[in-house]
Amino acid sequence: MLRYILRRLLYMTPILFGVSLVIFLILHLVPGDPARLVAGLDATQEDVKIVRSSLGLDRPLPVQYLSWLGNLLHGDLGRSARTHRPVTQELRLTFPATVELTLSATVVAVLIGVAAGTIAAVRRNSVFDYTSMVVALLGVCTPSFWLGLMLMLVFAVKLDLLPTTGRGGLENLVLPAVTLGAGAAAIIARVTRSSMLEVLGMDYIRTAHAKGLAARAVVLRHAVKNALIPVITVIGLEFGYLLAGAVVTETVFAYPGVGWLLVEAIGFRDYPVIQGALLLLALQFALVNLVVDILYAFVDPRISYG
Amino acid sequence: MKQLRLLGVLVLGFLLVAVGLSSRALAAQAEKVITIAQYADAVSLDPQDTNDNASYSIEKPMIEGLIGFNEKMEQIPQLAERWDASPDARVYTFYLRKGVKFHDGTPFNAAAVKANFDRVRNPDNKLKRYTLYKIISQIDVINDSTVRFTLSEPFGAMIATFAHPAGGISSPTAVQKYGSDYGKNPVGTGPYKFTEWVPNDHITMVKNPDYWDKNNEAKVDKIIVKPVPEEGTRIAMLQKGDAQFINFVPYIQADVVKADRNLSLASTEAIYTFWVAMNTQKKPFNDVRVRQAMNYAIDKEAVIKAVLRGQGKPADSPLAPRVWGYTPVKTYPYDPAKAKALLAEAGYPNGFKTVLRGNVQTDQKDAMVAIQGQLQQVGVDAEILALPAAALTAERFKPLEENKMEMDLAGWSPSTGDADWGIRPLLTKENWPPTNFTVGFYTNPKVEESIKAALQTSDAAKRKAAYAEAQRVIMDDCPWIFLWVNNLLGGSRANVGGISLQPDAIGYYRSVYYK
Repeated sequence: MLRYILRRLLYMTPILFGVSLVIFLILHLVPGDPARLVAGLDATQEDVKIVRSSLGLDRPLPVQYLSWLGNLLHGDLGRSARTHRPVTQELRLTFPATVELTLSATVVAVLIGVAAGTIAAVRRNSVFDYTSMVVALLGVCTPSFWLGLMLMLVFAVKLDLLPTTGRGGLENLVLPAVTLGAGAAAIIARVTRSSMLEVLGMDYIRTAHAKGLAARAVVLRHAVKNALIPVITVIGLEFGYLLAGAVVTETVFAYPGVGWLLVEAIGFRDYPVIQGALLLLALQFALVNLVVDILYAFVDPRISYG
Repeated sequence: MKQLRLLGVLVLGFLLVAVGLSSRALAAQAEKVITIAQYADAVSLDPQDTNDNASYSIEKPMIEGLIGFNEKMEQIPQLAERWDASPDARVYTFYLRKGVKFHDGTPFNAAAVKANFDRVRNPDNKLKRYTLYKIISQIDVINDSTVRFTLSEPFGAMIATFAHPAGGISSPTAVQKYGSDYGKNPVGTGPYKFTEWVPNDHITMVKNPDYWDKNNEAKVDKIIVKPVPEEGTRIAMLQKGDAQFINFVPYIQADVVKADRNLSLASTEAIYTFWVAMNTQKKPFNDVRVRQAMNYAIDKEAVIKAVLRGQGKPADSPLAPRVWGYTPVKTYPYDPAKAKALLAEAGYPNGFKTVLRGNVQTDQKDAMVAIQGQLQQVGVDAEILALPAAALTAERFKPLEENKMEMDLAGWSPSTGDADWGIRPLLTKENWPPTNFTVGFYTNPKVEESIKAALQTSDAAKRKAAYAEAQRVIMDDCPWIFLWVNNLLGGSRANVGGISLQPDAIGYYRSVYYK
């Protein structure tokens, strides 16, 4: 197992290298001159030139990439073109916030999704089944900026229960986590339901019923555990997408995370910040996939890694 | 069903804990705190390395200039008590206020002023405002409270340039101490002192108890500025009272704020003008009759009503009324018949096809749609190309040969508040892209001469006359479709006063108080 993990970690290196190269190339293909954007619209050509040379953008592209890569190996991601803060510092400030938000959103999504999906499968074709699946469909379709603003208007402004924005205690996390988790909850609910339906139709479930086990025990002990594999895959994937979804949610709730940092950086073509943030997100995505694969082995003893 | 009950209990518990935590915050409310939700975080808090209004808005309560602006953007003495200029607009002398100290205790004096402007005009420091002050060739400390600037060439708009927010004076001790990190640790002389900056979260400033002007000292203990990019979120924060002021209110939300009796809308007439530049070097817009036709074809009042919800008025000059040197010239009335006749005369009886470029921002897009519809009425088929700022900028700053611009919707405010920066970058040949913002590639020797004449003198009357002439010529030439001068909207809680947006869209936060 340990060797497997080490090998997977090793494989990640070329992947991340490829990611960094693709990011770099795409960034330089997209129109937009960072020097002009940083210098400002009313800046003269001379100002723009000064900014360009101070950002190192007057060097040839391969030189820029290699010097970035060289610094990366020393743990230096460069400095933001706009704020001059080191990118590592920007990420250190924002990344924990995003992880916090994404994890709480995942908890919300898993709690609601697995519970609703399981109940819907067990009580197939009941009112609960239909309503929860319609709600799930709506959940997938609702744009998170709209949902976020609506939740804010109801729970923060009208009912005055929660703060509107910002990061701090648990109370700041409720609305963004629900907003971010809603879509994932819906998908998890649907996957759980269909996976459960498949398992519930299996022979061994009939056997379990036949030998007189309580319905609850059949569902919880026998069915859910076996239905979980596809659900875990989806949760892993959703966790990755949640990081991307955090871009919108963080902006709506003025929540100081990587997503918001990234949006701003893209607006200003702040290359060092974009490259650093995307690399970090790619790394995290890869790690989450690894964790998911390891979890399989725990849930299903038939799967083992040598 | 049990699972569902469990879930219900969990969610309820979560909510209860959250509510308990939020009420705890109500306990410590003895000190007077103002929270401002602003559309963006600061980029830097070093005025000499700043070119965005979000940063200036936060710098201004902390850092003052020799000359300041009041909330109407009229120049007022700040750290200088008075000043004079030589008639040839080359030598400027400032008589400084005595007994003023920076927040770190460093005395404010002529040496401090010299150190500040020596810093910005040195290209090695790579500060964003270098070109604004590079015209200064020599700075002499006459005595402790008198300082004299000599320029390398006459520049009649220099007083306005000193009043520009980039002219804020920082403590030389702090600049020395923090070096390249000074922008994160600003130290000035203003009514508020910097305490903390958590990027993308908040900036805090507290009352400066030793402020030099007792009549204009801080009226609250603390100002917290939070960056909130989403417009709907800012409104929600204001409605709930999580913010006492928001910068800014989008036009489509103006009525929501107005209708709420807990809130009040702070509307300020801007020094912005909005216009559609036409590429005067290329067909069909190289014909003045076509450009006039475009001006007659647009019903400005209707566009203002639709896009700005009435928060503006038609532009009657390339400059807005609050810009120093503005002269009202004329507006082109809405007259589609005349527009058609002019187009026919110019050889386009059936109109033509063109492309209208602009920003993706909601109000800009709305304006483009309105303009497109009205141009259609006179046979001009304008395709809309709404681009994100970065892509649009890349397109705009291409030199003439590569530039695909035909019609370009844009707005401009001269941050010096002076006519020079409202005309020169926008309408002169030396400022064609890629150099600066003359995006329609306009040039007229008469305009260039007037501008030059205005810069050769410090005599206010002569300068005004020269700019008046330039404005008249430009209105006749119509290199732009002249659209509007807009109002800028801030929103505040009804129990808060003394806070608004300045006409240049920089927040005016320093006088805020609780009623």
